[in-house]
Amino acid sequence: MAEPATLENKVEERIKTHEEKQEWWWIAEKRRSRRLDYLRKAVWKKGALGGNYAPGIKLDLEGPTLFTDMWKRNHTDPIMLRRAKALAHVLDNIPIFITDQAQLVGYMGSLPHTLAWRVDGASIVNEEAYNEPGIHEEPQAESLKTVAELNAYWAGQTAIDKVARILDPEDAVKFLSGAIGWGAPTSAYGYSAKNYEYFMTGERAFEDIIDEIDANIEKAEEKTIGTPGPDILPLYDRIQNWEAMKIVLEAGIRYANRYARLARIVAENFESDPKRKEELLRVAETCERVPAKTPRNLQESLQYDFFVQIIARHEAHEGAWPSRPDYYHGPYYDKDVNIEKNITREEALDLIGEFMIRTYEVGGFGPRWAREGLQGITGTWVWTIGGVKPDGSDACNDMTIALMQAARLVRVANPTLSFRWHPKVSDEVMREIFECNRQGLGYPNLRNDPILVANAMHWHGHPIEEARLWMNQACLSPCPPTKHGQQPMRMASATANCAKIVEYALHNGYDHVVNMQMGPKTGDARKFTDFEQLFEAWVKQMEWIFNTLVRTVNLGRFKDPEFFGRPFLSAISERSVESGLDVVSPVGDRGNSWITAFTFVENIDSLAAVKKLVFDDKKYTMDQLITALEANWEGYEEMRLDFVKGAPKWGNDDDYVDDIMLRCLRECARHSKVIKDPSGNNWPILPENVSGNIHYANIVNALPNGRRLGDALYDGGISPGPGLDKKGPTAVLKSCAKIDHITHGRAFLLNQRLSPTQLAGEKGYQLWKAYVKTWADLGIDHIQFNVVSDETLYAAQRDPEKYSEVIVRVAGYSAHFVDISRKTQDNIIQRTVQGLG
Amino acid sequence: MPTCKECIHFFPRDDNPETGDCVQRVVDPRQAYHKARPVGPEKDAAECTSFEKK
Repeated sequence: MAEPATLENKVEERIKTHEEKQEWWWIAEKRRSRRLDYLRKAVWKKGALGGNYAPGIKLDLEGPTLFTDMWKRNHTDPIMLRRAKALAHVLDNIPIFITDQAQLVGYMGSLPHTLAWRVDGASIVNEEAYNEPGIHEEPQAESLKTVAELNAYWAGQTAIDKVARILDPEDAVKFLSGAIGWGAPTSAYGYSAKNYEYFMTGERAFEDIIDEIDANIEKAEEKTIGTPGPDILPLYDRIQNWEAMKIVLEAGIRYANRYARLARIVAENFESDPKRKEELLRVAETCERVPAKTPRNLQESLQYDFFVQIIARHEAHEGAWPSRPDYYHGPYYDKDVNIEKNITREEALDLIGEFMIRTYEVGGFGPRWAREGLQGITGTWVWTIGGVKPDGSDACNDMTIALMQAARLVRVANPTLSFRWHPKVSDEVMREIFECNRQGLGYPNLRNDPILVANAMHWHGHPIEEARLWMNQACLSPCPPTKHGQQPMRMASATANCAKIVEYALHNGYDHVVNMQMGPKTGDARKFTDFEQLFEAWVKQMEWIFNTLVRTVNLGRFKDPEFFGRPFLSAISERSVESGLDVVSPVGDRGNSWITAFTFVENIDSLAAVKKLVFDDKKYTMDQLITALEANWEGYEEMRLDFVKGAPKWGNDDDYVDDIMLRCLRECARHSKVIKDPSGNNWPILPENVSGNIHYANIVNALPNGRRLGDALYDGGISPGPGLDKKGPTAVLKSCAKIDHITHGRAFLLNQRLSPTQLAGEKGYQLWKAYVKTWADLGIDHIQFNVVSDETLYAAQRDPEKYSEVIVRVAGYSAHFVDISRKTQDNIIQRTVQGLG
Repeated sequence: MPTCKECIHFFPRDDNPETGDCVQRVVDPRQAYHKARPVGPEKDAAECTSFEKK
């Protein structure tokens, strides 16, 4: 007689069935611990669904009210000191919480379902906060009154208001039209790289930095009572800056101690489960230790890092999460799991899974353009793993593997992992990368490390040892977390909607969507008699768009210490602790700027179509083309289809169109060295899209690639248009490999969709590995995969509740499929599924 | 007039009895948690809906 099936056997049987059907999200749910499952499901998702916040998500008013109260009280202080006191007041008084089962703590709002609100960033965003339906706590009238009062106080005083007042009026109007780019030129909303090499190497924590600051203040004060001379004059301001840094570090320690105290109160007064009580006491001990002192174990190391990130988010609306968790936490993992055996591998995995869940929970209020452009997430929390050490040796460790295994258990869409591939990566690690992608996470993406290290040296002159430490500053741009390499603020407003370049070249600089003369008048395209005239116009429009955006950002960056200021970010940056300058000051920053080039490939396919069908084949005239474009192709469907199907398209290893890509990129690269950042360094371009291809669908006019106003734009930075890559995956790689990934730009996003059926089993792994080898050998800097079948995606569209953990790669980030708009969903389904082998 | 120090949710700070925290357990639609809000012991609790006498 057969033995009765145990519960465990039944679960294993179910898992097997799900594996056969490749339903990985249900397997994850069954494989993760009960604790992790609770925490995963407890998250209030802050990423907007399409462009709207989920029901129950509310705007936090505690943080902005506390901040504003203290800000008002210290109106005579210089800005950095004033901000430090206000931030400290928030950290001392904002309500805190500890979720049941949690072992890591910290959040940027006052309650789990709240969105933090950066009230001093931009009045224009504050107005959106007031008008956004559904996000105001009950009683709503009272909440709205508070929002209105805060808005009234900050109107005209926010960082952006101040920048806007001194920006050239024409630049301001064109920038604010929303047609050519997005973002806000202030560190209130920046992507700040952090100086991990200063505060996260185990050599120092907050108390040590305070000691360094005290010593600097003492030295400076001695000088200020010494021999008079010009050298002591800057010290008066710097002493106040140091005081500001010290205030926020001390407040950060008190903030952590508040969590320690709450954990002890709960353990000693409310908790009856001895195991949970022990966990809470460990939380207390951890928060009493970090960030004041250096971590001693994995939990303290993760908590330290998390506190740094959370405090930075109390200071500014950080749009990204530059980090390299395996490199900085790996030694603690090794100590705890392998050397001292303080915790088991499973316990470590559980902790790392929670680290990802805590990060997933983080979110602040963003304007609608940002929500539409980053559907499903609240910022690009891209964590960098793998890569090499400064001496060039392999940096992968057990934590690298644990992060990927934890990612498969918790299946969060934020953070995502970005893997720095190099030739010495072990097969064991490659299999983990493959498994994550095969299980449909859409991450880790692969970054070609030797290429990107060379790229960092080429564009910004980072020394090789520093370049080898790089981490993604946002989605894709490498930045060394070092004293001079760390770029403290990268403002998203150097993000160009590049499809406008060809649009303006065809319409004499006029924008028919916003009805404004935007770019320079480069000539009536109806009268162009050869392709060179069009190309020349394209170059001029490209230069104009890049110049306009970069001027704005440079100004914002230069004035930021005066208009906003970052005392906490300064306090964890070696340059600032040493100099007493706000870290946002360009002094001592080597420069690591880049222009994010959205909707770039439309230019190539459009130029190729005009060259082929108008100037080479003479099938149509420029006059006919412009007339059709002005009519949004309406009444010209046959002609439109000819421009779609009858013209060569990027991504098919066709030199006709690929040469146009190279010509365009060379022009961009040339101009990238003409325009300079505030440190005097270059502005290379970085073609990618996040979900800007959907956001800009109604802003980019009809184009010669056959696209109509309203149609989704292409999804990647150098990905072919969906369905237009007809010649298979190798042809796509060959086209992309014609680009010089070191000298043509900063990085180039390539999306590829692969068949889950083909990737099954060992054969699937070998096929994928061979494909990755080809990719690496060809010197392409980036690739990311979607491995989810159409069948699953259609099922998720029909029954979103049932498929809530299905993840797709959108662009430089991943999102849960059910959280993105229908248009974005359809755009992903339309991408060509490439067959390998 | 009831004050916070008379409430079961109030936990004074050992290092500074002039301050303390109102600690409450909350169960929302997604998760359960304990939250702490700094309050002074003499704060008027007459209108506090969570007040529970010790």
